Amino acid sequence: MRDFLELSVSAAASGCVYGLVALAYLLMIRPTGIVNFAVGELAMLAAFGGYVTHSLMQLSYPAGLAAVLLVMLGVGWLTERIAVRPLLERGAPILAPILALLGMLVIFRESISLTFSPDPYPVPYAFGFGRLELGPLSGSYQSFFIIATTLAVFAGAWFFFERTVAGKCFEAVALNRRAAALMGINLARVTTLAFAAGAGAAGLAGILVGANISAHYLMGVPLAIQGFTALVIGGVGRVEGALLGGLLLAFAEQLTVRYAPIAAGYAQAVPFLFLMIFLLVRPTGLLQAKRVA
Amino acid sequence: MKISSKLIAGLACALAVALFPAHAQETVKIGVITDKVGPAKPYAEPITQGIEVGAAEINAKGGVLGRKIELMIEDDQGKPDVSATMARKLVDSGAVFILSVSLTPATQQAQTVSLATKTPQMTPSNSGDTLTTQIDNPYFWQTGPLGSIQIATLLSYAGTKNYKRAALVSDNSDLGQLLARFFRSGLEKADIQVVSEELISRGATSAEPQMQKVRAANPDVLVSAGVLTAENVLMLKAYRQLGLKMPLLASYNFSVPVYMSVAKGLLDGVTFVDAYDPAKPEVKAFEATYKRVTGKDPFNLHGYGYDGMRLVADAIQRAGAVDKEKIKAAIQATDFAGVMGAKGMKYRFPAGKRTGFDPNGMVVRVYEGDRQGRVVHVGQGKPQ
Repeated sequence: MRDFLELSVSAAASGCVYGLVALAYLLMIRPTGIVNFAVGELAMLAAFGGYVTHSLMQLSYPAGLAAVLLVMLGVGWLTERIAVRPLLERGAPILAPILALLGMLVIFRESISLTFSPDPYPVPYAFGFGRLELGPLSGSYQSFFIIATTLAVFAGAWFFFERTVAGKCFEAVALNRRAAALMGINLARVTTLAFAAGAGAAGLAGILVGANISAHYLMGVPLAIQGFTALVIGGVGRVEGALLGGLLLAFAEQLTVRYAPIAAGYAQAVPFLFLMIFLLVRPTGLLQAKRVA
Repeated sequence: MKISSKLIAGLACALAVALFPAHAQETVKIGVITDKVGPAKPYAEPITQGIEVGAAEINAKGGVLGRKIELMIEDDQGKPDVSATMARKLVDSGAVFILSVSLTPATQQAQTVSLATKTPQMTPSNSGDTLTTQIDNPYFWQTGPLGSIQIATLLSYAGTKNYKRAALVSDNSDLGQLLARFFRSGLEKADIQVVSEELISRGATSAEPQMQKVRAANPDVLVSAGVLTAENVLMLKAYRQLGLKMPLLASYNFSVPVYMSVAKGLLDGVTFVDAYDPAKPEVKAFEATYKRVTGKDPFNLHGYGYDGMRLVADAIQRAGAVDKEKIKAAIQATDFAGVMGAKGMKYRFPAGKRTGFDPNGMVVRVYEGDRQGRVVHVGQGKPQ
């Protein structure tokens, strides 16, 4: 039981990271229909930002985190202006910006690869490397910090979409872009905000998980795959689905590695197995979008 | 208008110079296949830098056979098919020797070209034992320390500690899997029971499940065969977080100095196998040369490339001609003291063998705090 409870904290933390990456996808997909596979590289950029602000600029953790997230909002805005808006304004098919964003993936990764050495870089912990015991649960300080931060972000995202006018605008665009435009909603502003917020969510995932996995130029693709799988499991329709999908994926992964009587190598197939099962059986994911009465 | 004969002669000379440029000094073309963007980049980049410093030093002393070395560096992105293509490109461009410093499978694939074109090829760094056994290629040599030598050296050290039960951890890279196979086989031959064998996938966000299984198996020692630095650090973090106390013996990947920054505070007491003895006179000379040429301090990986370049130049010098067959014969007769390896070690290729790293040439060192510390064991039988 001790192992299971200990593992639950680790799996919950990993699930929260996957959930944040899934949220990044979701924020960009909902109003635009565009899948941005560069979200993993956005997380990578933020992880390197964490290294730079802490190790090179000697900023405190809160200041460094805030600085990195601000920069990531800017990166999201810039990505939308360079790779998405020009194509949408010219009436390009949806595949065009998706391919352009794959190009951005390569640009981000190679920029980091050329700027830094190929070795991993340390990303700071929020509260150091220690371990915390909360009743029967025990885990690293960073795991608990990841869980708490992610819950706060998702609570904020839920509140934004359910209780604010701007959030309703987002939903309106997601339901019907043309009708939303006719109702006076500024589509360009919603798209920009979606990409900025998505980059922010991906960046937060990167800087949080970077403390464990270190910042390195190849860290983006695995995160992108895990986040996308979490999105498919949870469903694109609701914000909370991203978190649910991430948690289910992480628990399945880690419990399989720990308890399944199979060779360790097979356990890495779990995310892909989940992806295939959900695409076949429930392609809309576990949580469906709320229907208007 | 009458044109003077002197003017005609002057114009003729100018025309001759323009049409027939001065005969450029011939160079000795050495091809290098490296990985600039793929998974081998953390190793390939410093090794390539070592090759470049080696070539610069040789050229500063007049080159080889009176000719400068010209490095032709190609990027195979760590992909076997691209590596073969780059090998073909280098051969077609006039390379008389190819140095391969990319991933083991990529080096393997490039061998198909060196065999077909009878072009000497060497890897100064790859440690996969299968590189000289899967393809019978008399034009290929390997001077990187074999995985089997690593495990034999580590086991020789473990033998002095009387371990009976071991946990083995690796990653899902090709080389990590190859090393894990050799480590497992070596442990079993030494009558050390492998009670837990775990794998950390590239891109994993936690190694706690694997370390929990290790903890539950209660081994005397944890052996790390992984070669992916980020995943090794993840394993080390979980090892410390879960309070595991059994000794950690690690592959030579832990000899890469980056651990001292990315795993700060976690390394004390970790023992690792290495091919670099900082107390060796050749190492001190190399470090001084590298610093002078580049302005930066080298580390062990640079030494592989530096040794590889100098060994090739030595072979060409002894061959007496830039002729592939003569170079092949000269390489096979190598007797060369380099930077890498324990004190007194020389690169030699025994008759019929194409692996040149001395089986007793590796050392076991220990991290003292966050620093790579002293040598505690040499080769396969000499405790310090």
